[in-house]
Amino acid sequence: MATKPASAATAPPPAAIPATDALLRTDARAASPWRMAARRFFAHRLAAAGLVISILLILSAILAPALAPRDPLQISILDKFQPPLTGGFLLGADEVGRDLLSRLLYAGRISLLVGFAAMAVTVLVGTVIGLVAGFYGGRPDAILMRLTDALLCFPTVFLLLVLAAFVGASLLSITLIIGLTSWMELARILRNQTLALREQDYVQAGRALGASNRRLIVRHLLPNSLAPIMVAATLNIANAVLAESYISYLGYGIQPPAASWGNMLNNAQSYFQNAPWIALFPGVLITLTVASFNFVGDGLRDALDPRARR
Amino acid sequence: MTAYFLRRLRQSVVLLILVTIVAFGLMHLAPGGPEAVYALSPGMRAEDLQRIRASFGLDQPLPVQYVKWAAGMLTGDWGRSYRDSRPVRDVIFDRIPATLELTVTALAIAIVVGVSLGVLGALRQRSLPDYLATIGAMVALSVPTFWFGLMVIFVFAERLGWIPSGGRETLGADFSLADRLHHLIAPALVLGLVLVATWSRYTRASMIEVVNQDYIRTARAKGLGERRVIWGHAFRNAAGPLVTLAGLQIPFLFSGALVTESVFTWPGMGRLFVDSLGYRDYPVLMGVLVVTALLVIGSNLAADLLVAVVDPRIRFR
Amino acid sequence: MIRHHDDVMRLADQVRAGRLSRREFFARAVAAGFSLTMASSFLAPGRASAAPTRSLARQAEPKKGGQVIVGFSQEPTVFNPLKSTLEVDRGVQYSLFDSLWRIDDKGALIPNLATELPSVENGGIGKDGLSYTFKLRNDAKWHDGQPFTAKDVLFSHAAIMNPDFAAGNRIGHDKITDISAPDDHTVTMKLSEAYAPFLIVWMDTYLIPEHLLKDVKDLNTADFNSIAPVGTGPFKWVERAPGDHITVAANPDYHGEGPYLDKIIFKYVPDLTVFFTQFKTGEIDATGIQGITADNYAEAKTLQGKTIYNAPSPFVEFIYMNFGKPVFQDKAVREAMYAGMDKQNIIDKVYYGLPAPSETYLPEASWAFDPDLPAQKFDVEQAKQTLDAAGWKPGADGIREKDGVKLSFTTSTTAGNKVREQAQQYLQQTWKEAGIDMQINNMPAAVIWGDYYNKSQYDTVMIGLNAGLGADPDGTTRFGSNYIPAQGGGGQNTMQYKNPDLDKLLDAGAKELDQAKRKEIYFKVQQVLRDDLAYLPIFHYVTIEGTKEGLQEYKPSVFVVSNQWNTNVWSWA
Repeated sequence: MATKPASAATAPPPAAIPATDALLRTDARAASPWRMAARRFFAHRLAAAGLVISILLILSAILAPALAPRDPLQISILDKFQPPLTGGFLLGADEVGRDLLSRLLYAGRISLLVGFAAMAVTVLVGTVIGLVAGFYGGRPDAILMRLTDALLCFPTVFLLLVLAAFVGASLLSITLIIGLTSWMELARILRNQTLALREQDYVQAGRALGASNRRLIVRHLLPNSLAPIMVAATLNIANAVLAESYISYLGYGIQPPAASWGNMLNNAQSYFQNAPWIALFPGVLITLTVASFNFVGDGLRDALDPRARR
Repeated sequence: MTAYFLRRLRQSVVLLILVTIVAFGLMHLAPGGPEAVYALSPGMRAEDLQRIRASFGLDQPLPVQYVKWAAGMLTGDWGRSYRDSRPVRDVIFDRIPATLELTVTALAIAIVVGVSLGVLGALRQRSLPDYLATIGAMVALSVPTFWFGLMVIFVFAERLGWIPSGGRETLGADFSLADRLHHLIAPALVLGLVLVATWSRYTRASMIEVVNQDYIRTARAKGLGERRVIWGHAFRNAAGPLVTLAGLQIPFLFSGALVTESVFTWPGMGRLFVDSLGYRDYPVLMGVLVVTALLVIGSNLAADLLVAVVDPRIRFR
Repeated sequence: MIRHHDDVMRLADQVRAGRLSRREFFARAVAAGFSLTMASSFLAPGRASAAPTRSLARQAEPKKGGQVIVGFSQEPTVFNPLKSTLEVDRGVQYSLFDSLWRIDDKGALIPNLATELPSVENGGIGKDGLSYTFKLRNDAKWHDGQPFTAKDVLFSHAAIMNPDFAAGNRIGHDKITDISAPDDHTVTMKLSEAYAPFLIVWMDTYLIPEHLLKDVKDLNTADFNSIAPVGTGPFKWVERAPGDHITVAANPDYHGEGPYLDKIIFKYVPDLTVFFTQFKTGEIDATGIQGITADNYAEAKTLQGKTIYNAPSPFVEFIYMNFGKPVFQDKAVREAMYAGMDKQNIIDKVYYGLPAPSETYLPEASWAFDPDLPAQKFDVEQAKQTLDAAGWKPGADGIREKDGVKLSFTTSTTAGNKVREQAQQYLQQTWKEAGIDMQINNMPAAVIWGDYYNKSQYDTVMIGLNAGLGADPDGTTRFGSNYIPAQGGGGQNTMQYKNPDLDKLLDAGAKELDQAKRKEIYFKVQQVLRDDLAYLPIFHYVTIEGTKEGLQEYKPSVFVVSNQWNTNVWSWA
């Protein structure tokens, strides 16, 4: 399953020199590191293509009510398995005669919503735990990092399944489950980075000037952590979309009649022979979405980490 | 180094205890139970279900159940499966060969394909093959495995008849290595391709870093053949992080095989986990979790030690 | 060789068909220990139609040899027939074990480990219906060569009643007050009250060996249950590869007909899509549980070299409503729900027209099935009128309400059952038209059929089950007022349905031994349940199964839970 390798990819390249050096160098070299980063990002053609596709997918989900030709829930049992371009169904009809195109558009809303919401949970939890552990060190660090290690002991899919099986399926629970099982890598990266950052002169200076811990974290440490957070966020959207489809496949997914790409794909498995299109479209959309976000994530990492210069 | 090792070990034990308490509590407090499968049998009554629960010891207070379970683990008694009443250790160990067979093959495929693509990409950055390899690997990573697996079965087993549509061997026939390989190839490829992207990306990054180093230029200047420069010098130096990656992926493969095993009817650990989850076979679930946790902890430790051996720059604090 | 009276009857058929001489027949029958008079009785003309034989159609002695791979989409794991009665476990147990009598695909009981079926006429059942005498055959052997005796029957009963043993269920056995064995081949027992399904109970009590298990400390965890079962059945245990398959091989010393096959392999294929693919590619020879799904039926029929069986099953699909929730206590609501169900389209379009609509809990093949119950009609207008008349008025959102209570509830079923989810969604749509709001809340099997179902925590469930007692129409524990687990009763009346009239009928039905009178009683039971809409019946399940062409005697039966009940006579053409 791909949830793990992609999240493994959130780790910095293994032989990385501490990111702080990189950031300092960036600061020293260019007036606008963000513009530099953007230039590097768009030089990466696959990342740029990924970004365009991602934006199109997001737009289609937002505009689903306007774009969908029919009610995605309207069952028309006589139209089951209408092939594409027949009977007024652009992409055909599904196993109970619902318009596949409309369903795909609405399903995209749910799948992407799960993706973004789970990412938000991941980023929130991962950032807070990473920064707090790294900044305070000592006992809080030990406790939080042991917790992180404990969760890392289990392959993500185990955690996903156990939680999904025991909590029951709903949009909220699936989002939380995915989010809460994928923050550990980010927390680790941020913790290590913060550990190094807090010894930097400007942080020490801020502390000497009597800045509160909270201010130090929010004003100094957080901005310097934006690069890994952005990378992790993008890759996590991809992961969450994929994870949602696995949960569906293993029988713990979003409830009907609501559609997500994952449960559409899963429901369509039996009809490969008679109605291949209903399995093909959601599968292609999941792959496209996941690959696009992954490319964007890769591009971001290259762009924000100047060490990986070409 | 021994002190470092011991400290890591001590932390790991505490970690493991923590993990088992959380997992145990989570499982038992959640709704549902192992008696549910019997609920719809003809003649089944509430009191029969209660008796079945009691025979599993589920009528006792949770802390008592945990202590019993933990005490059993320490003395080598992992409890018995609710599903088939066999000792959990046997239940799990029975599945390990099948899982190893699948995952080791998949990992080998991933390494060979991934490393080749990575090296290619590093040497010919931004060439068409580099792009194609990157796209291909990313698509393999992004396709839902179950969909990919079912497509492979549909096309290659059902339509073309080249491969069996699942299982580990032809049933009722004598053992034959060719038959085993024939069954192994499709699931191993499906599982392996997922990992190719990770391997090629790491290899590529690692190689790019190395090929620009002075000693590579020196090697070239000495007139060494390009192949020797790449594989003999550059790759050997780039391989350090890859060892870590292999270590990190072994436990993943145990669980990552879960979906692949379901689709290809492969009787491994992942499938055992899914079935046990559906049945609420708590002792087996706990057993699998402990085994996996041990593997993760163990392989992390091993990877760290290995890197230290491979890379003299690293010192233990 | 003749080992069983089944065999005699089969030979008798051959005589009638002119394939066996009468002299040869008598010689074989006498050699097998039948008296001449007895043997000749098998040849009596009137016998042919009465004989519950399976072999009329067979042209020649079945070919011996070969193996069959049976696919299961769940994994059989418990082989002690007293411990698990799950369909999938039974599928394997039927080949390994025997009970005193088996039930054939017509519903007739046929002596197996007993020599005769007890009846009042033959003295096997006392006139008061309280005492029973079972006569056992003396030539049956366990797979380890030890003889089967009355001790094994006593032991099996004791195991079922053993408080420390998690027996699958105790129904019927808990009415036995006194059981003993006057000799090695006779068992007598007394009951606390007359109990009509008693013979069916023993039909489904597969016997386990006393000599191997009497000294086992904990029968719950014996190796016998999982890796070393020993029975008297036509096949012997060979091995189990967990998560993959189970192999059983022919028992050459089987006391009954057959077996003809050398071995049977039960293969576990969890993914239903792959399951069907493996049937198509020939990797499995026969589809056991859960057979071929309705959506694959059309394709299955067109397959070359396969035989597809479309047979009724004892299961009925219902909507169970929880009477503990006030909204369902209003009969108008139940009537409106029933009228708002487009049964015909659910059957025709979602289930491909395969199952027959149902109005009751009994399978059509049951002798107590009432065919004249009023048929449901789909009529949304009718549903609206009923609700209007009962004071359920549509609110602003179109959902009806009465006295501040919304006509809104959830329905649940096992998650992942795709065809059923389609039916749910269609039902949701037609109910919505009538102003009834239904939300789908499906759960994994271990959750929904756990406390959620057993402690009546649901609003409604979509459930497919045999609400009778196996092959018997007794529904006391499912519908009786005293059998509500959520209210402290035993049993399985999770609907919390209470109806004193029904209680009386159910009680009378369970005690009446005369089948004709019982039939009348159960007709009334079904009428009461239909009239009151205690549940909403949808359809009678059909089992679609397939085998490779040439597998003989594969006979789906509505009276067993898994169609591997007669593997002893399976053979390849």
